[in-house]
Amino acid sequence: MFCRPFRPHLCVALLTLVCGRAPRVRAQQAAGASRHLHGVVVDSVAARALSGALVMVEGPQLARRTRTDDAGHFDLHELPAQPLRLTVRLVGFAPLTRTIDLTRGDVRVTVTLSQATVQLSAVSVTGDTLADPLSQSVAMTTLDAEALSRQRGQTLGETIKYVPGVSLIQFGPSIAKPVIRGLNSQRILVMNSGLRQEDQQWGTEHAPNIDSFDADVVTVVRGAATVLYGPDAIGGVVRVDRAAVPTSGAKNGELSVNGFSNNRQGALALGVAGSGLTLPWIGRTGYRVRMSSRVAGNGAAPDYFLSNTGFRELNGSVALGVSRGWGTSDLLVSRFATELGVLRQAHAGSFDDLQRAMTTAPRDSTFRYDIGRPSQQIAHTTARLRTLLELPHGNHLELVYGLQVNHRREFDNHGALRFRNVPAFDLRLFTNTVDARWRHAPLGRLTGTVGTSAIYQGNQTLGKAFLIPGYDLGQGALYAQEQLALGRVQLDVGARGDAISQTTIAFADQGIRSPAGTRRWNGFSGSLGVSAWVRENTQAAVRVARAWRPPSVNERYAQGVHHGSAQYELGDARLDAERSRAIEATLKHTGSTLAIDAAVYENRIDGFIFLRPREPVFTLRGTFPAFRYAATDARLRGAEAAVSWTPLARWQLTATGNAVRGTQRRDGTPLFDMPADRLTLQSRVLGTSARLGRWQAGVGATLVREQDGVPNGTIYTLPTAGYSLMSADVSTQGFSLFGRAVDLSLSITNLLDRRYRDYLSRYRLFVNDAGRDVVTRLRIPL
Amino acid sequence: MSWSARRMLPALAGIAVVLGGCGDSSTEPGGETEVISRVTLTLTPPAGAALSAFIDDADGNGPGAPSAQQGALALARNTTYTGTIRFENRLENPPEDITTEVQAEANEHRVFYTVSGAGVTVTATDTDGQGRPLGLRFTTAVGATPAAGTITVVLCHYDNVAKPASATSCTAETDINVAFNYTIAN
Repeated sequence: MFCRPFRPHLCVALLTLVCGRAPRVRAQQAAGASRHLHGVVVDSVAARALSGALVMVEGPQLARRTRTDDAGHFDLHELPAQPLRLTVRLVGFAPLTRTIDLTRGDVRVTVTLSQATVQLSAVSVTGDTLADPLSQSVAMTTLDAEALSRQRGQTLGETIKYVPGVSLIQFGPSIAKPVIRGLNSQRILVMNSGLRQEDQQWGTEHAPNIDSFDADVVTVVRGAATVLYGPDAIGGVVRVDRAAVPTSGAKNGELSVNGFSNNRQGALALGVAGSGLTLPWIGRTGYRVRMSSRVAGNGAAPDYFLSNTGFRELNGSVALGVSRGWGTSDLLVSRFATELGVLRQAHAGSFDDLQRAMTTAPRDSTFRYDIGRPSQQIAHTTARLRTLLELPHGNHLELVYGLQVNHRREFDNHGALRFRNVPAFDLRLFTNTVDARWRHAPLGRLTGTVGTSAIYQGNQTLGKAFLIPGYDLGQGALYAQEQLALGRVQLDVGARGDAISQTTIAFADQGIRSPAGTRRWNGFSGSLGVSAWVRENTQAAVRVARAWRPPSVNERYAQGVHHGSAQYELGDARLDAERSRAIEATLKHTGSTLAIDAAVYENRIDGFIFLRPREPVFTLRGTFPAFRYAATDARLRGAEAAVSWTPLARWQLTATGNAVRGTQRRDGTPLFDMPADRLTLQSRVLGTSARLGRWQAGVGATLVREQDGVPNGTIYTLPTAGYSLMSADVSTQGFSLFGRAVDLSLSITNLLDRRYRDYLSRYRLFVNDAGRDVVTRLRIPL
Repeated sequence: MSWSARRMLPALAGIAVVLGGCGDSSTEPGGETEVISRVTLTLTPPAGAALSAFIDDADGNGPGAPSAQQGALALARNTTYTGTIRFENRLENPPEDITTEVQAEANEHRVFYTVSGAGVTVTATDTDGQGRPLGLRFTTAVGATPAAGTITVVLCHYDNVAKPASATSCTAETDINVAFNYTIAN
């Protein structure tokens, strides 16, 4: 029963193996070569199988069609061994077309259809960077336009917080940093439209400087499953993609308006895309322009306002695209600019002040939009030029140049700078990246990408207080990520070599001394995965991965009081690179009523850099608890799962859970900043009606266990109680309003206005987390 | 395959040229943060020579500990001293007198003196523009019995909160927190 459906394919695979290489090229043209294409068609939202979908396969002198059965399956036999076009259509869903290459053997696909909405979300099926050969076996979650629309208007972190394996470090409503499998900041890679996002990501209060309205697809890769982006994805990768610039099709646009009751936030986004102008010598052109803004005041805990936690954001992007016979090319310029406040109590001049802020009741009864001190002003400007060349024989070459300028200014609430418009910390980070990726034509059963990348980065430290020194960083890399299909077994292999050089510039002022110096690191990262279809709808995979990262500049040279925690932090310039070896097992099942995505993992990190308590630092300001960046050997073990069950056609139940345990291997001491165990449950009814459009209504609960696995030695690691929150939402897509099919939703988080403090909330020593929030979202196609 | 490989190499070489520019790193001297590197306590008796003691922190905001107290406060019994406190940034050349800044922003500052030990009472004698105690000038009344102890000096900075008319300890931001040893001679 287990293997029966696979036996014919195994035979074909074996035959191909025996026949060897020579005949293959001829076999490509040979008419009678028999290949088998089969798969399942599922709904992107409910993850349920779709029956009756029309499946068409087209190629030269070939057109075959079939419909999916009750379990969403389709089967097409005796197809030629060559690339073919697969199109899947179903009423109410956006049609999907993709190229399926049968040259190397039989193919099994899972086709995910998005419910048809406005044009923009249909466009988002293709991202604007080269798709990665990852989707099959990697622990990965993709949020498409529809999934993203449910979290629109929030920070990027909030957008992905319901993905299994993901948690958030939060500084109130304005700063949210993703945590994947217990790791955050410089151990997570954020790829923004194909560029490594470089925005001083080492700081826990430095959130990704990305406009969440300008993201069409967000993908979270858990663990170091791919070497395509960098050696340092020890925790994982958050990939943010924009839809490709259209070079055909009519002009379209959309307007989004969001309101959040808790911090009285308004968010507005406007996007327009058009195409059709054909220029001589250049080709077909298109454009897309987007603007968005968010304005929020103080967040509200159940009994009081969180003073000075408002923010203002104004973002925009312009993309121009060209397509011609040789491929496509586009230029993207985007700017993200924000000003945000930091909770006043959480900014202490001395340890005595901090303890007082913790014990005196922090009550602020007035709501304000004003942002006072302390505050941050950040602007992130990106220019990206990307060309995708379609070479003969199915080769693709992608060339990307990116320039990122990050300007971060932090305004203090201490000393002489308090009343002047002069930032205490003023950092400008310039990052140039060049990437060349060659997605090669199938070599037998081998498909994959070979690439090289270079980074040149310079940091200017211009502020009046010392945070990190100026530095230059250069990095060069070569990598290959390949996939070998062997019937129902598939091998994934990635290998990458990096050379990194870091040169710091001397700083000496007011007693702070930071020397000049250059250090170089070389390293190898890689992954090896084996996945197999153990049943028709079930895939199991095991993967081992190596990743590493050099110590960041703050870990080497920090020197001073961290105002957020009133602790003295000292860098260690001699720290070595962190090296991680991880193993994971994943299970994915997509059935007609049940979908499972589960993983267990262990990540051993040698030389894990963390803040180790040391003897206090005495200054004339008082005594500070002090910490020094030090290395230890760490182990992170955990599990995550997302289960979705559709017992009735209109009723869906989902559960998502995470658990991770991080310890020092030497003595079993827990690591700091490990997320508490979390389970999110949701029940949802869905339907379609002529008047309401496609509606759904749901209630949910988030249960968080007490975090008692905490290290000793700092008040920042006090155990934190568990909590449970309820939520509810109703939404509809294609609701007819003034002759337009609009999307409308109303959702309420923390429905019961519970008082709680999350372990990863950096304000938890001072105030409760935010209370009830009523969110309305409206999207109008233009 | 060989077709694409031949054309790929020049393309790769070409884009390497694009690198450069824009990444001009630098570290500029800071120098405008408020650093107090020396606190000096001076006690003047009605007759005779003044007593003076100071504590230095030679690395300012750096991790090095402040020096031990320089100069002894050997107080005479049954005497009331007139006291002054002085805050300086001696990492600058010439040294900067922060006391004048505290005086200028008197409405937002207060110096607290907390005595642990017997025989000493410190009372602020100056006030800010609104009649609230300031504490840059004070009297130190010494009792009749020999003793030893410390006077802790806290420079308190009221930025977000209003300065209260009377208080016994700092409820805002601590700019300075140092302790001077004293003895009352036989």
